[in-house]
This record gives sequence, C-alpha cells and structure tokens, in this order.
Amino acid sequence: MSADRSKFVFVLPGLIVLVAIILFPLLFTIRVSFSDWDVARPGLDWIGATNYLRLVHDTRFWESFGRLALMAVGSVLLQYMLGFGLALLVWREVRARRFFRVLFLIPMMTTPVIMAVIWRTMFHESLGPVNDLVRLLHFAPLPWLSQAGLAMMSIITVEVWQWTPFMFLMLLAGLLSLPREPFLAAAIDGAGPIRTFLRVTFPMMAPISIGAIIIRLIEASKILDSVYVITSGGPGTATETSSYYIFIRGLRDFQVGYAAALSFTYLVIMAISLTIIAKVLARAMLVRDRA
Amino acid sequence: MARIDLDQLAHSYDRSGTRPAYAVYPFTHAWEDGETYALLGPSGCGKTTLLNIMSGIVHPSEGRVRFDGVDVTELPTARRNIAQVFQFPVIYRTMSVFENLAFPLRCRQLPQREIEQRVGEVAELLNLSGQLQRSALRLSSDAKQLISLGRGLVRNDVAAILLDEPLTVIDPQLKFELRRKLKEVNRRYRLTLIYVTHDQTEAMTLANKVVVMNQGRIVQIGTPQELFERPEDAFVGYFIGSPAMNMLECRLAEGGVDASGLHIAFPGADKRGIKVGAKLAFGVRPEYVAITDAPAADAIPAVLVDLKSVGAFRIATLGIGAHRVKAKMRADQPIPVDRMFVRFTDGRRLLYADDRLVAVA
Repeated sequence: MSADRSKFVFVLPGLIVLVAIILFPLLFTIRVSFSDWDVARPGLDWIGATNYLRLVHDTRFWESFGRLALMAVGSVLLQYMLGFGLALLVWREVRARRFFRVLFLIPMMTTPVIMAVIWRTMFHESLGPVNDLVRLLHFAPLPWLSQAGLAMMSIITVEVWQWTPFMFLMLLAGLLSLPREPFLAAAIDGAGPIRTFLRVTFPMMAPISIGAIIIRLIEASKILDSVYVITSGGPGTATETSSYYIFIRGLRDFQVGYAAALSFTYLVIMAISLTIIAKVLARAMLVRDRA
Repeated sequence: MARIDLDQLAHSYDRSGTRPAYAVYPFTHAWEDGETYALLGPSGCGKTTLLNIMSGIVHPSEGRVRFDGVDVTELPTARRNIAQVFQFPVIYRTMSVFENLAFPLRCRQLPQREIEQRVGEVAELLNLSGQLQRSALRLSSDAKQLISLGRGLVRNDVAAILLDEPLTVIDPQLKFELRRKLKEVNRRYRLTLIYVTHDQTEAMTLANKVVVMNQGRIVQIGTPQELFERPEDAFVGYFIGSPAMNMLECRLAEGGVDASGLHIAFPGADKRGIKVGAKLAFGVRPEYVAITDAPAADAIPAVLVDLKSVGAFRIATLGIGAHRVKAKMRADQPIPVDRMFVRFTDGRRLLYADDRLVAVA
C-alpha cells in the first residue's frame, strides 16, 4: 500500500462519521423534496420540481422570511448592545464580576420551552404581571400577545432576555483578553472614555464581536420553541418565522415532501445571507487593508 | 521638559504583612532636566515598577513624585504630561499613521493647522513622511514603535519620555537604526529621557547616565565609563562588561590581600572602613588582566586553561592558584608558551567588602 493510500485509511473513520452525520440527512432531505411524500402517500416517488415551483408562489413562506429577518437582526443587535454595555460595566470590577457571571448564566441554563411558558404567562393580557405593572403606571393594559406589533416585540423581548447573557459572556471574555498597554497609551495621550472606547476598545473587540454576532444570528434564525409556545405564530401569521412555517407544513400537515423542499430552500438562503452578513460586518468593523 | 524628583519613594505590591515586601526599596533620586538616562537591571529588579510610578500607572506606597517641584503623586497618568513607549508597539489600529501621530493633539483639541505642522515635523524626523496616509496596522513593528515614540514627541508639553524596553521586539539590524534615531531625537529636543532596559550595550551606548538596579535597590548611578571602571557594587561588576568582572574571595594580608593562599599586591588595603567580619572580595576586570612572560615582583604565575576568540579580541581563562580568572586582550597579542604570569593593571584593582567597593589600587 502506498503512503498516500495508508493516509486515507486513517482518515476513513472520520469521513464515514462525517458522511453519516452531515451528508446523509442533507442528501436525504434533497431527495425527499423531489417526492410527493405526505400523510396519505408516504414514500419516495418522483414528481420533479413540482414542490419547488409551488414554494416560489407560496407568499406565506416568503413573508415568514421577512419576519425572521426582523426578529433575528433586531434581537441580536439588542443583545449585542446590552451585552457589551453590561460587560463594560463589570469588566474592571473583579469582585462584582463573579457574581454577575453566575447571575447572567441563569437565563441560559433554563429550558427554552419552560421559560417560554413562563413568559407567556407574564405577558397574559388579563392575568399577567406585565399588564399589572402597566395598570400600576395608570396606562390601559396592552394586548401583548394578540396584536401583531406587540406580539413581535414580546418575542424579541424574550429572545433578548434569554440570549443577552451569552453575548455578555463572550464579550466579557474578549475584554478580559485585551492587552493593557493600548489603554495606558490612550490615557497618556489624553483620550477620554468615549474616545478610548471608539479608538481602542471597539476596534480591538471587532473580531470577537463579529464572531459573537454571527453565532447568535445563526442560532436566532432557527427560532422555533419560543414562537411555538408564546404566540404559535399568531395573531394570524404575524409572528410566524420560516422554521415555524416549515414545522407546520412538515409536522402538522404532514406534507413531508413539500416541507423538505422548504427546508432545503431555507438552508440555501440562510447560508448565502449569513455569508454576506459576515462579509459586510467584517468590512464595516475590521480595519481595511489600505497598504 | 522637567526635572523629576523622587523623594523617599518606595513601592510594595503586597502590603498585608507587617514588614512590607518591597519591589522598590525607599530611595531619593533626581532625574535632571534634559538628561538621557538608562535604567538598567535584570528582569524583575523593579525597573518597570519604578517607571510606572513615574508615569502614574502605579501609585507608590511611600514617598512623593515631583515634576519641576510640583507634587504629582496623586495625579492620574493623563494629567502628568509624560510620554511612555511600551515594550510592544501600541498603535491605534483603525487610524492612519498621520492620525496616530495626531491623536494626542486631537485629544487636546489643537487647531488643524498646528496639528499638521507638528505631525509633519515629527514624521520628518522619524522618516515616516512617506507613509503618513498608510494604515498604521500594516507597518512593520519597528515603524510601529516609531509611531509610539512619535506620539510622545508631537506634544510639546511632555515632562519626560519613558521608554520601557522599547527595542525588545525589534530585529537586531533595525535596533541599531532605532537607537541612532533616539539619540538624534534627544539631541534635537533636549528631552529628559528614561530608558529601561536589561541590555547593557543598549544602556551604555544610549545614555549619558546609567542607573543600575538590582532586587529593588539602585546600586549605582554613573556614566558608562564610571560603571565600567569603578563598579561601586559587585553586582555592577558582574552585570556590566563582557565577560563579567573577575571576583576572588579574599582576606586582608600584609601589603595586599590573600585569596586562599594566593597573595595579590594591593597597596593601601587596610582595615579602615571595613566592618569586622565583612565578606571581602578582590575584583579586576578582564580588560585589566595582562599576560606576560617576564617574572616580576607583583606578577603571579599562571596557566592557560582556555582560549576563546571573539572577533578582534581573545578571552583567555587562566588558572592562578586555586582560582580562575579571565583576561581579555587584542587578538593579535601573542600569548607566551612556556612560562606565563599575570599582572593586574595599577589603579584597576578593586576591593569589595560585603559587595560594596571599599578600596582602589
């Protein structure tokens, strides 16, 4: 056996696992998307691109993308700003840091579904504490979950509540890894806190910021459980996201073939748009090579 | 530029114990206006602590710091008007070379015209004129270090420029160039310059005065010449000069010293000024150990143990009595083959008691 071949043998177990875990489900989904598999006729028949032609005209699918974009970008931006702000606050305080770290970890440790149920109760129009508070401030109670705009806001609030700690931890770790000298140099040069943040802290935090934002965007685009529990996509389809719509088609209507086509289209669109977002972010936040 | 007074200054990082563990022991010293100093010592001797106390990054646990008589001990770094260059070049990553140099002036809200004029002048001096519009991030590390220095130079209010081992990350060839530039800058602006280093060559070539530190104490302050010829402390003898000074443990004897049976002439050595029970040592630099083939009254018989060539010099290791001494001589100087004696140059024989210089002969 030649050296090249023997190398291949060593790689083989890894490759097999990779194919089994990643490639097979993907390829299977693609195959299913060309079939008419549904609850009445399960099986892999071949209907060509019929499912794909159907989804092109499925406005509900495309609208869900718009809502997803709003929800994901909106909540991740809020998470980033809040997380960064909190990290900056506790960064220098060694004693408080430990306490906050534990405190902020709690939302991340809770089970998403349970947490969503609690939030649904809190937002409940007549029984929820949120409206109690509104009444206490002498305002009319608000239909948190049954009005389109408010329902969207409620879900974003829950998302921000649950995922800001992640941002906080990532950015705090980033801040703690920064060298000390640039800050000393800025102090010596006479820079105030705002200038120091804009010229020293933020540029040095750009790489980790991009990383954290991208990770959160990928996670946030898969949002399903909180939508399912809190609003079930309602009122109407006002909070229905792509993954939730695919879930309805695949697991509620059992149009498995069509849901597979939706899933695959979703995957392609997400891969392309996240790549573009990452590029844009990198270009905006990292220093351009002007040399 | 200003004179910097350190008055009864001391620092301890750990103040929990009853007796503080000093990183810098109490001392008083004045850095003269416009002078170039090197602060020389091994790693961990307290030189960076001392520097950071002057720049205000570290608050001293005892004593005061005065700039031109004004007490600045409690002032933060930003209000002390010092410039500091760190071991690793610090640049503002998002800014061009021009903006990097202009940054301290922008923070002080100077008019654009003045900023351009001053940055232009400093860039000229540092040979950065052609790269002003480039991104600072893409420059080589020596150019970045020049920018760090330049940010101190553009300000005309700096009391002193403190450099903390600024050439550590620079390529050896460029080190020479940067050192030359530092000297030029110093000549031009008459700056009070304090240069921290653990490299004796750097210290000796750059500074007019060298402050040698060891284990939190200043052991000697002097010109490079003085440090070489009259090390006040045995440590200075070891640390400065290559190879280090020969040190032979000894005790006083008639007309000289006795180093475990070996008599070395040392006119004028007596008990005066030497504490009873003090550890005595005879010191002589390898440069002042002469090898001859002629026996004389004060010549000591020797055998050649090892011979190394270092460029224009040779370093001979000689056995005298039970001791080894090193001699440094020109490469073309012949070495006697059969019989060999060493003589120590008059006026270069040093006697130390408890590591402090007590007599010269």
